[in-house]
Amino acid sequence: MNSAVYPIAVFFAAVFTNNILLTNYLGMCSFLSVSREIKTSVGLGIAVTFVMATTTILNWLAYNFILLPFQLEYLRFIVFIIIIAAFVQLIEMIIERVSEGLYAALGIFLPLITVNCAILGVSLFMVIRDYNLITSFFYGLGSGLGWFLAIMAMAGIRQKLTRAKVPPGLEGAGITLIIAGMMALAFMGFSGMINIT
Amino acid sequence: MKIQKQQAMRNVLKGLTPLCLAAIYFYGWRFTAVLAVVAAAGVLSEYVLAKKYGLQMTESLFVSVLLFSLSLPPGIPLWIAALGIVFGIVFGKMVFGGFGRNIFNPAITARAFVYISFGVPMTSKFLPTLPGPDSWFPGGFAHWLSPLDSVSSATPLFTKSADLFNLAFGFIPGSFGETAAVLVVIGGLYIIIKKAANWRLTVSAIAAFLIMQTIFWLAGIRDTVDPLYALISGSFLLGAFFMITDPVSASQTTNIGRWIYGAFFGVLTVLIRVFSIWPEGITFAILLSNMFAPLLDYYLKERKKRKGASA
Repeated sequence: MNSAVYPIAVFFAAVFTNNILLTNYLGMCSFLSVSREIKTSVGLGIAVTFVMATTTILNWLAYNFILLPFQLEYLRFIVFIIIIAAFVQLIEMIIERVSEGLYAALGIFLPLITVNCAILGVSLFMVIRDYNLITSFFYGLGSGLGWFLAIMAMAGIRQKLTRAKVPPGLEGAGITLIIAGMMALAFMGFSGMINIT
Repeated sequence: MKIQKQQAMRNVLKGLTPLCLAAIYFYGWRFTAVLAVVAAAGVLSEYVLAKKYGLQMTESLFVSVLLFSLSLPPGIPLWIAALGIVFGIVFGKMVFGGFGRNIFNPAITARAFVYISFGVPMTSKFLPTLPGPDSWFPGGFAHWLSPLDSVSSATPLFTKSADLFNLAFGFIPGSFGETAAVLVVIGGLYIIIKKAANWRLTVSAIAAFLIMQTIFWLAGIRDTVDPLYALISGSFLLGAFFMITDPVSASQTTNIGRWIYGAFFGVLTVLIRVFSIWPEGITFAILLSNMFAPLLDYYLKERKKRKGASA
């Protein structure tokens, strides 16, 4: 594919055809627990998108300029996790200083993201697929937005479901997983639209 | 257990009756066997769960049964049809607490499930119609099923060549109930007049579909067919009149929501048909529209509240 268009194609693929949540099933834990209300999902969605886009860049730099030259690729899991955790902490401190309002709004979500597997997953996919810096950025951004989209839809559905008579055994996580499966079924419709590896 | 009466659903059933007769006329009496199996499996699964969890059985069940049966290819194995409706009723409706609470249209949930699980039977069991230029009558009324050994069994949506007369009146291979565009429109207008369906959904879906299709056709992307051909081939009309108008899973709280919802469905159908690996997009387009409808309703409600507060 044309190199100028490639990052854009990767971006759209990450949002729709290869949605990190609905085709790779990453980031399920916070997706299940925080999708109860639309407002909180928006907060978490924004935080995930931001962290995903930025940590993908940081991890790309670390991987290509530190790990590769010193042949330390096998350390990438632990290095990526440390970078993500450190970056999230840093951001949290900065936000606390700069904007009280935003800090209150994001609240628990920033620390929660540290353990969101989708963030690490995106960085690892980036390594496997051998993306360059720009493509990695678009991939991280697209994956974040795809995750955002999915949790928003789920929150909308769950908010509508508050009055539904769900069978007792399926309340909470059970019905949420069923809905997630149905959403994944719907997202199958996008398959083949953009072919990237 | 008593089945709750629903006048709107009865009107939808009446609107679908011509399509059922047409299905027999085109493809033979096997349609009744498919319908019977699907109805039995659907009623059974709804009955068992309704009984266990103290829920109400409703007549909407029969609409789901009929829509699902009509959307199957004529040569579909019966066990796949039964499996599909069980999935649709159980996971599309009963786990949410029955009629009125479901997020996804049960008939479409069932169809999507069999579509991706049994790709070969769902896409290769299309048969040519029994009546044709040689004999218009009695057509399928004298046969069990169209001959299986025929060559031309790809649908016009796939081959992209059929004349418009055959498309409009249904003399083409296709699913049981989707082929006769004229009958779909007549049945659809009936349920709209009877107020079982909201005309805004259908109109905006068709308008958005035509606009998108025209753009792609004029731009010549991926041999897109012309808008009229695209409109009456495949099951878009069936979807626009009977499936997205389902009062439960659609965005049905505001008129503006209905316009957006319909248009979303129309645009998605075209995008999936043109770009994805699936020849027909309406199944996934409906599921995606269902999926985002609650969010759409929520934001429209919020906007209304804000307007009310500022005024």
